[in-house]
Amino acid sequence: MFGNICLIFLQMVVILGVSPFVVGLIRKVKAWLQCRKGPSVFQPYADLRKIFCKEAVIPSTTSWIFTITPYILFGSTLAAGLLVPAFFADMPLGFAGNIIALVYLLALGTFFLILAGLDAGSAFGGMGSSREALVASVTEPAMILSIFAIGLTAGSTNLNTIVHRTALFQGVTTDPAPHLLALGALFIVALAETGRVPVDNPATHLELTMIHEAMILDYSGRYLALVEWAASMKLLVFLSLLVNIFAPWGIAVEATAGAMTLGLVAYLVKVSALAVVIGILECTVAKLRLFRLSELLGAAFILALLAVIFFYMFRG
Amino acid sequence: MPVFQELIHDVQGQAINVCSMFLLLSSFAIVAQRSLASCVSLYAMQSFFLGFTAMVVANASGVHHLYFAAALNFLIKAWLIPRILHRAVDRLNVKREVEPLVNIPSSLLICGGLMILALYFSQPIKQIGPLLTNDSLALGLAIVFIGCFIMISRRKLVTQIVGFLTVENGLFLLATAITYGMPLIVELGVFFDILVAALIFGVLLHRIQDTVESARPAESRFEEVGEVAP
Repeated sequence: MFGNICLIFLQMVVILGVSPFVVGLIRKVKAWLQCRKGPSVFQPYADLRKIFCKEAVIPSTTSWIFTITPYILFGSTLAAGLLVPAFFADMPLGFAGNIIALVYLLALGTFFLILAGLDAGSAFGGMGSSREALVASVTEPAMILSIFAIGLTAGSTNLNTIVHRTALFQGVTTDPAPHLLALGALFIVALAETGRVPVDNPATHLELTMIHEAMILDYSGRYLALVEWAASMKLLVFLSLLVNIFAPWGIAVEATAGAMTLGLVAYLVKVSALAVVIGILECTVAKLRLFRLSELLGAAFILALLAVIFFYMFRG
Repeated sequence: MPVFQELIHDVQGQAINVCSMFLLLSSFAIVAQRSLASCVSLYAMQSFFLGFTAMVVANASGVHHLYFAAALNFLIKAWLIPRILHRAVDRLNVKREVEPLVNIPSSLLICGGLMILALYFSQPIKQIGPLLTNDSLALGLAIVFIGCFIMISRRKLVTQIVGFLTVENGLFLLATAITYGMPLIVELGVFFDILVAALIFGVLLHRIQDTVESARPAESRFEEVGEVAP
């Protein structure tokens, strides 16, 4: 029991602690590729501390939804992070929810953020919210379908089971095709959900093109810090999901100190590698026009659909 | 034949599965693509994966003339025909996009539906005999359907040609799936036909370019030219 609580606590520390680093790493990679020196990888930590210390200003037109949203967003994203096996394949919270619960925990945060964007009544907030609603509603079918494909190949929707099977070479090696297709679909979904480049530009300050940033324009002080931190946690949750479902090798399968340390190192290396890939992608791909988004996300949906079809074809 | 059944979950079976997955993905990519030049490049990629599939099947089944067919595939369909088409596209100087009649997300969804249809149709045939390449049957059928759909739903002549060549690739996969390839002499004939057809397309495109400005069968005065293509 005590061990389980320690594990949950450790996972929480890892999720909270590593997430700003991932954002900093992506920025650093982009800076390097643009021949800039760029801020330090640890700059997001300093940013968070600075914003936490600032005074929070709440617009007078807002209701309770505006103030409660950062807490709901932060809480639901952290809960989602605790469901994903990061460095240890048997998360003690695995009983509490499967991969479908994880998707809708993240959707809960998105839902409240959309409401909060509308709440202040500013033009940009409303625009950001409507765009976020569009992206969220188009990514959801692709995401759920790719998750079904993964669940079918692993024979379970429980993340612990999926990661275990894959880590011990039961499942991937018998059908790589659906797995690869689902990986492609989930990667596109991850880019869309976390507001990375082909869909949204996290570095932009042009209100007409931004999605996520437009929704949080009215936040300041600790509220802004919580929203920013939750956004970076969401990115980390998706990265962990991708690396641990499709390449969980190195993850700790038994609860010994040595295996855990190895698992932690492997996890950090894999997540950093994926972050570098995203950084390179952001430098090579242009942001899509908003009305072209449905093409990219439609392609993700088709990939996921093909993954499910392939599963039935090769097994049936 | 029972030996092949055991192989299905072996490395070769998986290699065929993954290859045919990429084959199908490149057909979907052609549907999703907007620029003519990338359509042609994707066709080259599709032919490359088809040749690779044929090689794996040849290795697994011991039907050695398939190696020859695969080599011809690499040479003619993955290199020569894309070269001819690329030159035609360059010459046409097409700056405009593909101009689909149905928008791209809907086309992708329709192709997904065609894939399910192909899977459904191939079920009864699948039960007849246990073959190593059983799954390629549905895939070949799906690629034939998708190629037909590309031909129907695009206005530009070059994309219609790519659709036609996609149908041919699907038929090759079907032949490989059902009988481990046709007799060598038939395959040689088919390859030669395809090459000649591509050459004629190339010449035809040049002639159209010389005569009228546009190479869109629906708008040009030479409507019958568009109908010759398929």
